[in-house]
Amino acid sequence: MLRYFSKSILLLLFSVIICCIIYPLVLWAIGKTVFPFQADGSLLKGPDGTVVGSKLIAQPFTKDEYFQPRPSSPSYDASASASSSLAPSNYTLRDRVARVLGPIVKYRGGEKAGQLVAPDVEQWFSKDVYGGEPHIVAQWAGQHNSLAQAWVGADPKNGAYVDDWAKNNPALVDQWIKDNPTTPKPKTADLAVVFFTDFSNKNPGRFPSAVTKTDADGKEVTAIEPVKEGSDIQSIFFEMWRHEHPEADLQDVPGDLVTASASGLDPHITMQNALFQLDRVAAKWAANLHRNPDTVRKEIEQMLQQNASAPFNGLAGEPFVNVLEINLELCKRYGNPS
Amino acid sequence: MILQTWLLPIALLVTATIIAMPLSRYLAWVMNGKYRPLPVAGWLEKCLDSGPQNWKQYTGSLLVFNVVLFVFGYLVLSVQPWMPLNPDGKGMLFPSTIFHSVISFMTNTNLQHYAGDVNLSNFSQIFFCIYNMFLSASVGFCALVAMIRAFRGEASLGNYFVDMWRVVIYMFIPAALIFGTIFLSQGSPMTFESSYQVSTLEPAAMGTTDKGEVKKQTIVVGPVAALESIKMLGTNGGGFFGMNSAHPFENPTGLSNFFVTLAMMIFPFALVFMYGRMLGRPRHAWVIFSVMLLLMAGTVVWAICFDTLQPNPALTAHPIAQTYEIPNAKAPGGKQEVTIPAVASLPVDQHLGNLEGKEMRFGTSAGATFNALTTDVTCGAVNAEMDSLNPLAALSPMVGMWLNCIFGGKGVGMINMLLYVIIGIFIAGQMVGRTPEYLGRKIGAREVKLAVIALLVHPMMVLMPTGLFAALDWGLKAVSNPGAHGFTQMLFQFSSASANNGAAFDGLGVTYGFANNLAPSPEAIPWDIATGLIMIFSRYLPIIAPIAMAAFLGAKKASPIGLGTLRDDTPTFGFLVLGTVLIIGALLFLPVAVLGPMAEHFGPIPFGG
Repeated sequence: MLRYFSKSILLLLFSVIICCIIYPLVLWAIGKTVFPFQADGSLLKGPDGTVVGSKLIAQPFTKDEYFQPRPSSPSYDASASASSSLAPSNYTLRDRVARVLGPIVKYRGGEKAGQLVAPDVEQWFSKDVYGGEPHIVAQWAGQHNSLAQAWVGADPKNGAYVDDWAKNNPALVDQWIKDNPTTPKPKTADLAVVFFTDFSNKNPGRFPSAVTKTDADGKEVTAIEPVKEGSDIQSIFFEMWRHEHPEADLQDVPGDLVTASASGLDPHITMQNALFQLDRVAAKWAANLHRNPDTVRKEIEQMLQQNASAPFNGLAGEPFVNVLEINLELCKRYGNPS
Repeated sequence: MILQTWLLPIALLVTATIIAMPLSRYLAWVMNGKYRPLPVAGWLEKCLDSGPQNWKQYTGSLLVFNVVLFVFGYLVLSVQPWMPLNPDGKGMLFPSTIFHSVISFMTNTNLQHYAGDVNLSNFSQIFFCIYNMFLSASVGFCALVAMIRAFRGEASLGNYFVDMWRVVIYMFIPAALIFGTIFLSQGSPMTFESSYQVSTLEPAAMGTTDKGEVKKQTIVVGPVAALESIKMLGTNGGGFFGMNSAHPFENPTGLSNFFVTLAMMIFPFALVFMYGRMLGRPRHAWVIFSVMLLLMAGTVVWAICFDTLQPNPALTAHPIAQTYEIPNAKAPGGKQEVTIPAVASLPVDQHLGNLEGKEMRFGTSAGATFNALTTDVTCGAVNAEMDSLNPLAALSPMVGMWLNCIFGGKGVGMINMLLYVIIGIFIAGQMVGRTPEYLGRKIGAREVKLAVIALLVHPMMVLMPTGLFAALDWGLKAVSNPGAHGFTQMLFQFSSASANNGAAFDGLGVTYGFANNLAPSPEAIPWDIATGLIMIFSRYLPIIAPIAMAAFLGAKKASPIGLGTLRDDTPTFGFLVLGTVLIIGALLFLPVAVLGPMAEHFGPIPFGG
């Protein structure tokens, strides 16, 4: 055995030198000499010559002038790639997709063809009846406890708002503790469902949302207030609205627009997705530059076509475009967005 | 659409088969020692040679070397904070995670309870990951070669250290250099830098830090191309980044995806032909190869049919309300009726199938194809999220792990298939009332016992801990998805550990992270230890027992082929083996398949909420 042990050490020594020193150095040298751009991580430079990111790594875009990448579970953090890991049977997945859809979905047929669904969702919400019962928000929190709890933790302001409510409503908190004897000191999130039930009773047709106002000193202040319209209502309650309007004829949104990629860093969107976003992008640039929307649209569409590629020239998949490259090109052509 | 869906898997299977044939000739040539050693390498090889070994000496050497591997790996990970190539100052992993990771890489499993981009420095990536990827893949390879020599009736099974040297130097290093260069050309980084901080094109979109400054994007890079090639060629599967081959740096283009997938297939394919070549029974190898290819095609077609050709059911309509009876002690009659209302569809175009957890650049069916193949060849890398596959599609990777013989990992999959062959022959022999023979040698009670021991380790190591963890907080607090899918998450993790595969449902909370992590997954430690132990048992018992069995069998006298001999090179024999694999596999794992993915498929979607 001792003999085998010494041979093992020798094998370890030889193989470490070959596998961990010579092998990586040879590949490194090939990279340095033949593929320097790729070896460094495919870094792209912006209009002012500084590095703005990697061609292969998605980065977030929110302005209407830009094409937007697919949703990202790690929020485009390229030091912690991750997928959503949500099973098809997990309600969280359906909810996440519905929230993206709410503000952008349009009617496909009927008298409202081409119009956004969002105003109808807000109108339905303000009536505050779901399934024949009053109080949509209370029902939402009751059916989806985890979503209500997630809302409390989503922003410090939300948590503070619930804490304030708890201070002003000690009776309800005491009742909750009586119902849940195992948790004598509830955390803020534990009270989410009671909070929303009470909120819904006191503010029918309203939802607590962040509202930014300018106060007397001219400073911008953001606070939580009961609102009856806005993006929160359009996104959070689209799923319930859809449940009551299954017959509404809606336009399909491209699948990759609402689904998260595996790495969370997918730098591409499908051509279908890009064309879906094209109206918004072209309209915004046209307005910025005071130019004819149709010409701008044509120009950008041409850019998309030039950037497009497909797996095995389209034999194994559909065309897609690189979001960072196309947005860089928009910047180079039209200047920085407003 | 039909072409876009099916061209990629067909091209992969055909290309891998074509490459495997000449490759197997080369492998047999090297392992038979026919090559002329390179000048310095020849001298080093002489230093390693400890002379001819019998099966006990050979497996003894194998075990001693693996102990050395364990100590070395543990050392490398433990000293990470003080080693070079660590400019970001990455700390030490939690001890149970080090224990788990070292076993995981040493056993060719590469189940990762950490994320490479978050937790490892480039020093650890090279001296721990890359090193183990070369060596652990070679171990299984050598075990198969030893078994072949035993079947040939040779008194000496060769020398373990020389065999390891041959595999690393003459097979993996050249292949890894070729594939590494391909991945480099496609965009995999190859640098000793560890990360860049960049201001993105729309800086405000990254959000702001606590101090109110605009966040920068941190882009982790490193010697990715070097790791990626041996990760796939050695069917290791432990990614440089948390999201493995789905990460754009590990797998930058559709073309790289083709080669990444091909890389994990060529050696397992070639080993089957090598087996036939070294034994002088190429037709027998072809029969086994056909059985494996048929099973593999089955898993791929299944995954594509239920994932690429079906929408994600989370977004589709389920127009009929369903009523279930569930037990409830408080309700009258002990039963309670639960009605799940009808669900309306969301307006999403899903003509490309389930896109949650898929990347766009690989191609339409690339995710489903890869995830089926990766468990067939026990690689365990992923290019799409396993957890988000459609429920029935997730059965495909699990079947790959449960059978564990559809080509399988380096050598080990072939060994598992030989066990099924022995048992199949034994059963057939019982049915016709003849003494079963393999390669002309009579299979006795001792050989069958060893084969059954080796085969039964796997289901025991999958089913027992899954049951245990499902009953305890260890499992229930770790799952991230509700209902049947949560059970599937646990089942998948143990299947992956026991099959030495390494694929995972990433939602499972098994990550402790750095030793000073204040908020680790609550049940990370039991998962680290349980899967760590399972990987050891499921690795070494199914290597040692078959080598012993082969040695006993090979020592017997070969009898000439007669009229009553069960021919092992006919289609009939292929169906016998196929039937054995399917029947034994189904008997062992059908119940859990029903509890997990099938229950999720037939149950209400969405479930809970």
